[in-house]
Parts: sequence; C-alpha cells; structure tokens
Amino acid sequence: MTWDFLLAQFAAQFGLWWVIVPAILLGIIVGILPGFSPQNTLIMLLPLTLAVPVEQAMAFMIALYCANHLAGGIPAILVKIPGSGGAAATTLDGYPMTQKGQAQQALVLCFTASVFGGLITTLATIALLPWLSQIGLYLRSVEMVVVMLFGLTLIAVIAGKDTLKALIGGFFGLLIGVIGTDHIYNTPRATFGFLELYDGVPLVPALIGLFAISEALVMIEEKLIVDQSGRARALAARWADTVEGLRLSLRKWWHIVWTAFVGLLIGITPGAGASIAAFVAYQQSRLWSKTPELYGTGIPEGVIAPESANNGVTSGTLVPTLALGVPGGSTAAVMMIVLQYHGMVMGPRLFATNPEVAYGVFVSMAVAYIFMIFTILPLARYMSRVVLIETTYLAPIIVLVTIVAAFGERQYLFDMALALVFGVIGYIAHKTNYHVTAILIGILLGPLFEQYLVRALRISQGDVTVLFSSTIGNVLWGLLVLSLVLPLWRSYMQRTPLKAEP
Amino acid sequence: MKNPLGADLVIPALALGFAAYFFVSIADLAWEAKANGVMIGGVLVVLIAVQLIRTAVALARGKASLLFNPLWEPREALVKRAGMVAVTVAFIATLGWLGLTLGLLLALFAALWIMGARGKALVVLPIAVAAAAYLLFVALLQSEIPHGPIEKLLS
Repeated sequence: MTWDFLLAQFAAQFGLWWVIVPAILLGIIVGILPGFSPQNTLIMLLPLTLAVPVEQAMAFMIALYCANHLAGGIPAILVKIPGSGGAAATTLDGYPMTQKGQAQQALVLCFTASVFGGLITTLATIALLPWLSQIGLYLRSVEMVVVMLFGLTLIAVIAGKDTLKALIGGFFGLLIGVIGTDHIYNTPRATFGFLELYDGVPLVPALIGLFAISEALVMIEEKLIVDQSGRARALAARWADTVEGLRLSLRKWWHIVWTAFVGLLIGITPGAGASIAAFVAYQQSRLWSKTPELYGTGIPEGVIAPESANNGVTSGTLVPTLALGVPGGSTAAVMMIVLQYHGMVMGPRLFATNPEVAYGVFVSMAVAYIFMIFTILPLARYMSRVVLIETTYLAPIIVLVTIVAAFGERQYLFDMALALVFGVIGYIAHKTNYHVTAILIGILLGPLFEQYLVRALRISQGDVTVLFSSTIGNVLWGLLVLSLVLPLWRSYMQRTPLKAEP
Repeated sequence: MKNPLGADLVIPALALGFAAYFFVSIADLAWEAKANGVMIGGVLVVLIAVQLIRTAVALARGKASLLFNPLWEPREALVKRAGMVAVTVAFIATLGWLGLTLGLLLALFAALWIMGARGKALVVLPIAVAAAAYLLFVALLQSEIPHGPIEKLLS
C-alpha cells in the first residue's frame, strides 16, 4: 500500500459524494428511531446495493452504518431514548445535560466525539490492519468473559445513592437476559411458552420499553422536559452554543482518542458490539476521572466516552470481516453478503487481489465521517429545540411511534406488546429508583456473558480455572480488580484527611 | 411522614416471581443450560432478601409504611398515564385490522385528547405523524407491518 494508492482511494471516495450524503441522511433518520438497526435497513435495501457497482454499494452501506451509529445518540440526549443499544450509555450524562439547558452542547459533543472517534480509529485501522486483524484471534471466550465483567461492573458504578437497588435491577436484567434457548442444547428456558422468546429477549423492545415508554409515562407529570432555567437557555440557543460544544470537544480531545480505541479493540472481536464498547468506555472514563462523582449529573466526558467508543467500533467490526472472513457483527455480515455477491473472496487474499475494495472500505468510512460532520453539525441548534415541545404532544408521539419502531427489528407484533410490558416495568423502576440503565445493562450483556462463559467452561469440561489460564486474560483480570479497588481506595483517601481534621 | 416503601417492593416481587419461574423451568436441564441462570438467580434472591430485611427493619422502627404512593403520585397525571397505556394496548390489539396508518392516526388522536390537547394540533399532529409513518415504514422501508384500508387504497 503506497501513499499514491491511498490518495487515489480518497479521491475516488470523495467522488462518490452523491452516494454518501443521501446515505448519511437516511442513516441519521433510521438511527434516531429505535428499532431500525443498520442491518435491518441494509437488508431492506439489499436489492439496491446488489444492483449497483461494488464501490458504490460499499460507500452507501458504510456511510449509512456510520451515520446510524452517530444518530443513536441524538434521541438519547434529547429525550432519554437511545436510538440503539450503543447509545444507551449516552443517556446517563447526555439527558442530564439537556435538562440543564445544554442540549445543543451535548449534541455537538456527541457529533464531534462520534465523528473524530470514528475517523481516528478508521485511519488507525488503515495503518495497522495486518496487526489489528490478529487481535481477534487472541481475544477468545476466556478473555471475553472478563471484558463482559468490565461492562457489568458499571451496574454498581451507576448506582448512585442506593447500590442495593441498582444491583437488584442489574441482576433482574441479567436473569431476563438468560430467557431463551441455551447455547449448547437449544433447550428453552423461562420463555412463558412464547416461541418469540426462543431467541432470547429482543433488545429493541427492551430498549424502547425501559427508556422511551417509561420516560414518556414519567414526563407527563411536567409541562416540559426541562425546568424553567433550562427552557430559558433553550429559547436563547445561539450558534455560540455550538461553538462552545466544539470548544469542549477540543479541550477533551484526548478523551475522544482513548475511548475511541476502547471501541476499536472491542469492535475487532467478533460478537462484541457497540453496546459493550460504550458501557466499558463509560466505566473506564469514570474510573480514571478526577471527578467520578460528577458522572451521571451531565458532564461532557459522560457523553464523549460512549459516543466515541461506539463509533470506534464501526471500523473494528469490519477488520475480522475483511481480514478473516468472520463477520464482526450483523451489519458486517450483510456487507459481506454484498461483497461476496460481487465475487469478492473474504480473508487475507482480499488485500492482495482487490486492495481497492479491501482498503477502499476503510477509506470510504473515513470519507463518510468527514462528510458527516459538515452535514450534521449545523443541525444541532435546531435539534436542541425539541425540548421546547410540551409533553402534552411529545409523550403520546414518543409512546406510539416507538411502539411502531419496536416492530422493526424482527417484524413481530409480539415485540410491540413486549415493549409495552418493559415500559410498565421501566416506569415502576423509574419511580422507585431501581435504575433502568442497570436493568438494560443486564439484558444487553447477560446473553453475551453466558455465551462466552459457557463456551469457556465447555472447552475446559467444567473446570473454572480455565478462566485464569491465559496471559491476556490474567492481565485483564488484574485490570478488572484494579478498576474495582481503585474507586474504593480513592474514596478512602478522600475521607482520611477529613477525619484527621479536628 | 413515614417513608412509603410498598412501592419499593414491586420490582423485587416481580424479580422474585420471575426467578422462581426460571428455576422451575430449568430444573431438568443439563448443567450448561442452567449454570449461569442458577448463579444469577441465586445472587438475585440474596439481594432481594437483604432488601426485604431492610424494609422490615424500617417498618419495625416505625419509619416506613407499606403504601404505594410513589407509583400513583401526582394524582392528576394518573388518569393521563393510565389512558395512554390503554390507548397503546388498543392500538396494538387493533393494528391487524386497521393497519399502521389508520391505527396510528386514531390512537394518536385519542392519546392527545386524553393528554389535554385541543384545537388544530389535535387533528394536524395525528395526520402528520401517520403520514410520516406511512412514508417511512411502508413506502420507503417496505416493512411488513400490518396493512389496513389506507395502505390497500394507496398500494
């Protein structure tokens, strides 16, 4: 790969602006709606992508995929409804920023973290592709058990005042996540007799119910979702707020970089996705922060970490797809189908036989991110005005439109009813401080944790010491223990001088 | 005023009921199928027991009651909330006959009315949202959501 080759690739991709810009707009629209994942949208548009040349098809799919990842954060920030699982962690600080009248700044932070996080990791992937493709081989089920535990520790981290309630919520979510057939014998567990639950609890109805519907049922208690000062700030929203958001992003540039690499590393591992990346990045961001107690109150780092990580995942997901022929996620699998339809053979040979396609995919991603920042940044000011809509109108629209969106992922009416059930559970949890995010983390990570744990135990024939049998795994265990002990040690150190005072 | 802890027990009660059902449903399965569930369910039961003890201590000290007030209050929002849930149930139940566009239009009209919306917005919003939903879900994305009289008329 030479510089001339790379420059030619960039020039070719910029020439496809007429494919990339509409794909970005479509990706943003479907990304805002929970239920319309990029893979579903791409499957629906498969006849189109199969009919056009492979370069155009890939540019379209990549731009839509990246825009979709970015857009999930928009409703998460404005109305506490994550557009995708990857944006669920964004609600933790994004929505409190909105309630403080800083919706515009939060949106700009979300856009810049997403775009620059995605762009940096894409460029890193282009430069380090041969080495990155090997990482997936080293992160096996044993190591992934520990990665999942990193995400699960966030249940205790976000607990706030009542750790016990957060743990009950988290473990309730984990148990709900175990619903469905097991990974070895395919025997159904706790499905209440519904065939629709044999594949497990679908994520989208859970996400819609726990966040969108429960939040709508709560928000009707107030006239607006922001308080009086927040309303005044939203009414006075100016371009200067967008600039302030950019300034905040610049000040936190290092935060964007390192959390994006968390996303990239997790994205490279087949099966792990944006959700786990966002939660792990949030947890790590809080862990290394000098002011961890401010997380959850609406701070820039709490928006940057999950957004940067879930866009770092986008390039990572494609590494095993192209380099090994193993799709890193369901969207990557759809892209693989299109590439194979056009006669491309996945695996290391692709880089020798069709380098313009193999590297072109990542160049296309970098170009999509560059287009995206110019497309979406000017919209932040107008999007932030959503908070001025009275809940009399907002709540019914949220409930009914998201209920329709619950149908989108699997096309079952059952999922709409399931979303409503989760909505009622979420409402009760919300009113009694059982942290809905803790429940969702359990539902999200429970099945993945079980999958890796059972796989590891199966390989070792039930011997649990297998979990401590690899060097990388042991290093991860050490980091996990450190991440649990460090906050305790820090709070002890903070308390000690106070005790010493007379 | 005593802390109304009855509402705090709803989630633990649901979780405990579900855990009991889960244990029954996996009783005869191989260890690989139940190891994770037993581990998670076991911890959940212990956590709920601690919560119950905590509530019992607060009740014994006279600092708490078993009222469910947090779930109902504020009372003026209760009718709106219950109405919205009822409209959503009706929407899902009739979607097969009415289809997306007509069903959403009627459900949104009813929900807005319950929420207290009046005037032009009561008519314009449902029409606009239903039209947008038709364009996105039916015309553009060709989702398999049930078709009703409007979709059949426009197809």
